[in-house]
Order: sequence, then structure tokens, then C-alpha cells
Amino acid sequence: MKRPSTARLSQWIFLLVFAVLFVKTEYRGSDTISAAINSFFRADPLVLASYLAANRTFTWLLFPALLMLGFTLLLGRFFCGWICPLGTVLDLVTARIKKTAPLQVLKGNLKYYLLLPLLFAALFHVNLAGILDPLAILVRALTFFLYPLFGDTLRGGWVGLYRLIGERRDLLEPGFNLLRNHLLPFRETFYPLAFLSALLFFGILFLERYETRNWCRNLCPLGTLLGIFSRFSPFKRLPGRLCGDCSNCRSVCPTSFDSDELLQEECVLCLECLTGCEKGRARFAWKPGGPRSAGFVPQRRVLLGGLASGFLLSGLFRFRRPEAEARVLRPPGVQSEDDFLKKCVRCGECLKVCLTGALYPAIAQAGVEGIYTPVVTPRLGYCEFNCTLCGQVCPTAAIPSLPVAEKRRAVIGKAHLDKNHCLPFARRTNCIVCEEHCPIPQKAIRSEIVETLDLEGKPISLQQPYVVEELCNGCGICENVCPLEGKSGIEVLAVKDRTPLKRAAIAPPEARSTHKKESGTGTSEDAAGVTEGGGGVGGGGKEDAHPRKESQGAVKAGGAAQDAADPYGSDAYR
Amino acid sequence: MRRRAFLKLMGLAALFHQWLLRTVAAAEGPVVAVASGKDHAQITRNAIAALGGMQRFVKSGDVVVVKPNMGWDRTPEQGANTNPVVVRTVVEEALRAGARKVKVFDRTCNDDRRCYVNSGMVAALKGMKNVELKYIENERFKKVDLKGKALDEWELYDEALNADVFINVPVAKHHQLTKVTLGLKNVMGVMGGKRGAIHKKIDEALTDVNKVLKSHLVLVDATRVLIAHGPQGGSLEDVKYLHKVIASTDIVAADAYATTLFGHRPEEIAVTVAAHRRGLGEMDLKKIRIVKA
Repeated sequence: MKRPSTARLSQWIFLLVFAVLFVKTEYRGSDTISAAINSFFRADPLVLASYLAANRTFTWLLFPALLMLGFTLLLGRFFCGWICPLGTVLDLVTARIKKTAPLQVLKGNLKYYLLLPLLFAALFHVNLAGILDPLAILVRALTFFLYPLFGDTLRGGWVGLYRLIGERRDLLEPGFNLLRNHLLPFRETFYPLAFLSALLFFGILFLERYETRNWCRNLCPLGTLLGIFSRFSPFKRLPGRLCGDCSNCRSVCPTSFDSDELLQEECVLCLECLTGCEKGRARFAWKPGGPRSAGFVPQRRVLLGGLASGFLLSGLFRFRRPEAEARVLRPPGVQSEDDFLKKCVRCGECLKVCLTGALYPAIAQAGVEGIYTPVVTPRLGYCEFNCTLCGQVCPTAAIPSLPVAEKRRAVIGKAHLDKNHCLPFARRTNCIVCEEHCPIPQKAIRSEIVETLDLEGKPISLQQPYVVEELCNGCGICENVCPLEGKSGIEVLAVKDRTPLKRAAIAPPEARSTHKKESGTGTSEDAAGVTEGGGGVGGGGKEDAHPRKESQGAVKAGGAAQDAADPYGSDAYR
Repeated sequence: MRRRAFLKLMGLAALFHQWLLRTVAAAEGPVVAVASGKDHAQITRNAIAALGGMQRFVKSGDVVVVKPNMGWDRTPEQGANTNPVVVRTVVEEALRAGARKVKVFDRTCNDDRRCYVNSGMVAALKGMKNVELKYIENERFKKVDLKGKALDEWELYDEALNADVFINVPVAKHHQLTKVTLGLKNVMGVMGGKRGAIHKKIDEALTDVNKVLKSHLVLVDATRVLIAHGPQGGSLEDVKYLHKVIASTDIVAADAYATTLFGHRPEEIAVTVAAHRRGLGEMDLKKIRIVKA
């Protein structure tokens, strides 16, 4: 076997790192996740460029991308030939794909007409760059399609084994545990847009049948961006064109010899030409000087065309359906939808890491512009009270990385009861599942005891839930656990005002513990009584009752301070 | 002389028929051992010892299931999950009595991984030999014919059903619907499916399940209890330290006694009443023998 070149070695190492980081993007017993998880995206100059254009501020999170641009300016498109995991995947498969002639339709200025409108649209506040970012395409294909399928298949085998041999499967348990703890997703979540994600990825592979690195040289917006910078690189391959007596370079070079002249902005520094040159002429040297290719690419009309189409593009997708928008619940800490759309790169990292599988990519509910952005979907998964992982992995802080005490107060939406559906109202049976799961220590969902008649006319005592809006952070566990089938009796709806809950609403237990220590031996009844005014020890029939007029039978037991204002004041169901 | 004859008979009977004395004792009603003290491992051992020691329940080679409540992503101090010190001690005792394997699990309400870690159970059981702390695996739920009053059938966890000894280790805490949650309710942790749906007839439903899945030993952790905002709590202001462990072979009796710690009477708790009515155990505190340990 031929000794792999340094570039190949680097590609393999980075692909491995990429894979390891991908698999590690999962809760494995620690509240914090390695900061390296999102490092590929943070070093992605396309993410940086679109972020700068859309937000007009810099974030230190993306400093690695700035470094990457700097090095590209010096060395050229080494990222594509040495680092990019999608490029590596292409290099791995391309040898097995028979080539036909290059597609002429992809040649010319097409790639600039992809990159420039994306960047200019970002300038007009519509940041779509992530949709075509090569790293995002790869991560999404893995997250939405391949990884769940892989996990589900292995798990299916494991379950099948149980059906086959029963308890004896335990003998193999250590082996499976190893797999599960280090390689498999904890739960296999199947995503919408899996098909589109797979289509993009496999489409790129399919393009390899026309020429090598077809995507990289003709389409990839990141590659194009890096190409523009690499034109100024003083690090050049010499000679700068095919030699008259030998054209080996044309067959050896994966990207740069479309014509007899070497296209520096396409050179990925794979160094294949050095080993491929029989005459020993090919070399790389430090040779400062202006761009050599004729004319400035993109030409002025491409630039202006890109600007115009970017401007037009930014206006195409503004429409939102209000009723769909009510269910656009953003991850915790996201305060403004506009701001979020400007920052989100749609990389899929947050969806991958989400503990309960609460985050799903938006299809159309956030407008076409919002495709692939994460949306909390409570019926499928809820936001875990003490978890802060999505903020930790977000490469652009579109989801802010909050300390857990602050994240608990972050408002995703507000829960609303549907009394036509909710069991104690619609069926007159007790339930309280939403209330018991509500993670807010003082309970954002409470119930009042109502003496009423059941559907057969027999008098019963019912606990009917109500929502204390000031305490609800919209985590959605209520909607998730509602025992009704299909549609839940309680639903979280988006709100514009996502001001965090008051600090007092969720005082961290740490802060309260000092007060608690002395009362450990038995005076705590009083303490509980003071703060809650509701069911302490001995408060047999007392519930946190809420003063409502129509509830004749409600047992009133003080009610906490939050009860003073009627939480139903703005409730549409009332 | 009749008194002497009776004593003689009793003495001889004790010699030859040990079980007779036990029957006499049983006629007095079930024993509930209540151990108090700040050393939670020690009081757990004391409570078990007061019932005759773990070897009374666990025989050499048995597979034992210890079922704590660790359903919530809460720390041990927050009182929503069974005290890991108590659980560890029960596991140790079972191993000492000769258990071949001790399995610890619970079907959690929050994310399994977070609950297992933050309840302190992973740390408490770390490195113990022949102890399994596994997440619930859905394929192990078996449809069981309950023929109950509320539930005809339900999916129950086969490892709990197949265990030689099932030790129920609930944490005593407030519950919004059932007022308190104790041993009878702790078996919800082996129920599959949409178990939230049983809340509409929770008293009969829990009795249905407890009739099929018998707890051989119940240890109620009342070292610290949630007195409000149960079953999940969250605020340390709702946690009260009682430093007690209650043990019994009679799940209704254990629950009935533990209920009094919250200032309730057993008759107020619908789940206890239903279980007693349907013959699962004794709830009349006057008929229960309470042994301080």
C-alpha cells in the first residue's frame, strides 16, 4: 500500500475528530459538555461571514473562523484539502465512482451566484447560509438521517435478541453497554426533513460521477468564499500552468486544472501534483504578488447581480402564518425571533444534543426562511428543567449558553389549558399529571378542589388544574406527559415577551439552603407554611386554591403571592 | 391449674412448632419497625434487623430487585427521590444475605440518565459487585392480566415480576392527588405504557397492581420528606428532616404508619383504604405492632 500523503493523514485525523465530536454531542452523565463539540462550526468562515453580515457585530465565539480566514489568506484553501470532513468523505468515495464529462451547467459563475446572494441576503437580515454550509449539510445528514437509523437498527437487533433468547441476553450486556454508552444515541429520534437532508448529502455524492470534487469546486459556498481569499495567497504552486510536454497534473489534480492554467482559487493544497509529477518540476513556493488569473472574479456584474438577488431573496420568505407561529417555540434563552434567525446556522447541533429529543427542525411553521431552525415540540419531548446543553453547543450563541439558574427562568412559551379536552374539565375525572410533572418548585400548574357532578350526575370532588402564567417557563413537560392521546389537554404557545421569570419564582435551592439547615430537625412546617400558604404538613384537604368566582366548592387556602393577579386574565379559552 | 396447663402447652408448642408462635404473633397484626437516628445507613440496618434481618427475606442465590423512587431529576437533598444511602444499605444487606444479584431500577419521569445520576444512585452504587443499575428497557414490559377493579391488564416490568425478592423502597413525600406517596404508589415505577392515565381511579388501579406484584419487604425512607409540592418538590423549604426509616412486610401497614408522619390519618388516604379493603394489609394503627428500632 502506498504511504498516505500528509494531506490525506490530516484529512483522516480531522474526519475522525469530527466523528468523535459528533458522537460526543450527547448527555453522558455530566451537565457540561466539552467546548470542543462545536469547534468545526466556530472555525467555519462562512458562518462567520453570514453572522457578520446579518448581525453586524463580532462574537469571540467565532474567533477561530477569523483565524481560519487569516490562514487562508496566507496559504490558500487548505481547509478544503486538509480539514473539511465533507471533502474527505468525497475523496473516500470518488475513486469508486466512474466519471462522465463535467456538467457544463455548473461551470462559470454559478458558485458566485450561490455564495453572493446568500451573503447579501444576510446583509438584509435573512441568514440562510447554513442551509448550504458543507459542515451543516454533513451534520444534518448524520443527525437527521444516518445516526438515528444506525441507532435504531442496532437497538432493534438488541431488542430482537431479547425476544429470541430472553434473559440470557444479559450475558452480552457488557458489550452492548459499551456500544450504548459510547457510540449509540441514547434515544433514536426520527426527524422531519430527514429526506431533504439525505437528499442534499447524497446529491453531493452523486455529483461525483461528473468530476472529482464537483461540489467543492463548482458549488460549495464555503469553498467559494475561501477561494476568494486564497487568490491573495502568496503560497503558490509552480509552475502555474500545465507544462507543454506533460499534462499529468490534469489527471492527478482533483480541482484546479479545468483549463491549461492553474486556478489558484480552486487549489485545495492536497499536494497530489507533487507526488504525481514525474519530471520533478511541480513545487509549492512563497511567491508574493497579486492574483494571477485574468480579471477579478467575481466580476463586477456578478457582484452586483449577487447583491440584487440577495436583496430580492431577503424579501421572498417573510410571510408567516400566525397560527403556525403560535407553535414556533424556540430553545430556552432565545428572546427574539428575528435575532435568532439572524444567528442560527441550522447546524443541527442543538437537536443532536437535546436530552429528551424536544428539538425538531422547522419545516414551514417558521416561514420558509426558518427551515431547519430548531423548534421545541413538546408533545414529542420537553425542555429538561436542569439541562443547559443546547446553549452550550450552539456555535453562534443563537441559543445563549446560560448558567442553569438562569436557564430555568428562561421563557420558551406559556402553557394553556384546553378545557374542551383536559380530563378534569371535559371528562370530570381526576388527573393532575401535568401538575405533578411541572418542575417549577412553586408549581406553575396548580389545581383547585371543586365539588361538582360527574358526567353521570353523581357528586364528586375534582382537582381542576390552572396555570400560573407568571411562573410558567413553557418547558412543555405538561404537554408532553398529558395522558390524552394525540392532542394534549394542555399546550405551550409561543409568546413575544420572553422576559425571564422573576428570580424569586425559581430561587435556586442552593440559595435557600442556609435558611434550611437549622430547621432540619422539625421547625420546617412553619417555613413551608410561610412561603407557600398552601399544603404544608397537616394541610390535609388544602390545595393551592386560586380565587375564581365560578368555583363555588374551591377550598381557599391562602394562595401564594403569585395568585394575586388572575392568571386567566388573558386566557383565550376563558 | 388451667393457667399452668396452658403455659406448658405453649412452651411445648414453641419447642416443636416454631411457626405456632409466629401465628400467635401474626394474630396480633403486622409488625412495623420504625428506626430513628441521624445515621441513615444504621437506621436502615436497624429497621431490617427489627423484622428479623434480611436473611428472613433473601435466601442464598436469590435475585433481588430493590425498587427505589428515583423518578425525578432532583438531588438527594431535595427529597423527591429515595435517599441513596438507604438504598445502598438495603442493597448491601441483600448481598450479605446471599443474593446472587441485586437489580435497582425505576421508570423515571424526567430523563433517565439525569435521574439516575442526580438522584445520587449512580454514585451510591458505584463499584458494587453483583449490583445492576440499569435503565428501563421497553422490551421488558410484559402485558399482565390484572383482572382488577380499575385495570384489566397493564404492562409491568418483567425483572420486577421475575425477582425472587421484591424490596420496595419508596421515599415518603407529599403528593398533590393522593396526599402522600409511599410504598403502594412506588410500584408505579414498574408500570409501562401511559401510566399517567391511571390517575382517574388511582386508588383501585394501584391496588390492582400491588395485588399482582407483591412487595416482600417495604422500607419507607422518611429520612427527609417532602411536605409540599410533591411528588417533585424542588425547593429545600419543602423538605423536612425526620431521620426515620420504616420497615414492614405489610405494605399497607407501612404506608399507614408513614402517613401519620405527615399529620394525616390512614383513613384519609384513598390508596391505603382501597388496598386495605381489598386485603393487601392492615391499616388500623391499633392493630399494627409498632417496634421502635
